[in-house]
Amino acid sequence: MSRREEILAKVAKVVAIPSCVQKALALLNDPDADLGELARIIEHDPGLTVNLLKIVNASFFGGNRPMSTAREAIVRLGTAQVLQFVISTGVAPSFVHKIEGYDLAPNMHLQHSVTVAMAARELGDVLGVKTPDHAFTAGLVSGVGKILLGAYVQVNVHPILTLALEEGLSFDQAEDQVLGINHAELGGMVLDNWGLPRELTDVVRYHLRPDEFDGEDLTLDLVHIGNVLAKMIGVGLGVDGLNYEVSKKVAERLNLTPAILDTVSANVVEGLGEVWDLFMECAEDSCKI
Amino acid sequence: MSLHVVNISDMKFSDQPEDVIVTYSLGSCLGVTVYDPEAGIGGMIHCLLPTASSARDKARTNPFMFVNTGVAMMVRKLMDAGAIKHRLVFKAAGGANMRNDNLFNTGARNFESLEKLLARNGIDLTASDVGGTIPRTVFLHLDTGRVVVRSLGEEKEL
Repeated sequence: MSRREEILAKVAKVVAIPSCVQKALALLNDPDADLGELARIIEHDPGLTVNLLKIVNASFFGGNRPMSTAREAIVRLGTAQVLQFVISTGVAPSFVHKIEGYDLAPNMHLQHSVTVAMAARELGDVLGVKTPDHAFTAGLVSGVGKILLGAYVQVNVHPILTLALEEGLSFDQAEDQVLGINHAELGGMVLDNWGLPRELTDVVRYHLRPDEFDGEDLTLDLVHIGNVLAKMIGVGLGVDGLNYEVSKKVAERLNLTPAILDTVSANVVEGLGEVWDLFMECAEDSCKI
Repeated sequence: MSLHVVNISDMKFSDQPEDVIVTYSLGSCLGVTVYDPEAGIGGMIHCLLPTASSARDKARTNPFMFVNTGVAMMVRKLMDAGAIKHRLVFKAAGGANMRNDNLFNTGARNFESLEKLLARNGIDLTASDVGGTIPRTVFLHLDTGRVVVRSLGEEKEL
């Protein structure tokens, strides 16, 4: 069995993405819990969002149209019991202190994911385009493949990093060579198998290499640059650092300039202050991931 | 020892020899340390952008967001606390760029902005560890002014 097949077989058994649930659990145990606050936590947590979308799109909750934002799903479900189920699925499968393979503390992955999501949405606002509703969610879950590789496959990052540095490869190219798959492709495939809509899974799959996507998709473009911005801003960086390519085609399509990116970065850093309390709740000593 | 953490667009300084100032996870941002060895006063800033030209309103609310306004303000604060300008030792780390990025160059632009500011004031940069695609964490030890850069699990002194 190749390394790629081995990885795909392992993640096929994964039923839920681990998440930072300390605060969510505390809220659920409170009879006067504010559903709005719970929604805010879920909306900013990649694991909880993915688990929720998996459940709503799986069967009887879904209806005719697939759902691609946490907010939509929460409105549709609307009961604390169902949300409790979603959250409990997030804690059950694995307790890990950090994403070992990627040298990421749990709060760092959360911070990075939220920054990608905020940057994608803010970029759309600054460009004055009509940003699709699911752009935030797509950005938030774009790095879910790293959680899978780190928490379930326990990938050893050192040969990947060494190969990238020695051969001058981008981190995802080095993943391809060592593992037979990169974290973006893996994340997209798993979410696809979980029944999440293509408008999300395509973004996850192609967010590092948008030029390989067949066609044009504004959300993909926004998330690709959102991910670049989050890495440049430097929130929650892992050992892969900034070792990824920026698509020139996307930059041209969006008419990006350094000035536009500077404005978006400044706005995102300012906005991060408003969600800082969530990151604090997910500090390493209080949260299992 | 107390550890003072410098966030993005933030600055901390101290004159306590047991203190250490740190900033984590520098991407394209630039970390700049300034230390007066005689007074034992030192500071560190974590700047997001080279200048405020694309976000003018934010230069008023947070001058530490930008290299040109932030570093100048840090030096003023250190001098108010007793540091003397000609004794100050400047070091810098960070300023990484995305791979093959010749579109935005935020890291390179941040470092250029610092070089320009220092040149205008006739100040030399004593040491720097900038560029590439790697993330960096920087420590300033107030007892000696030692600056340590940690990246990919390895530490080196600047």
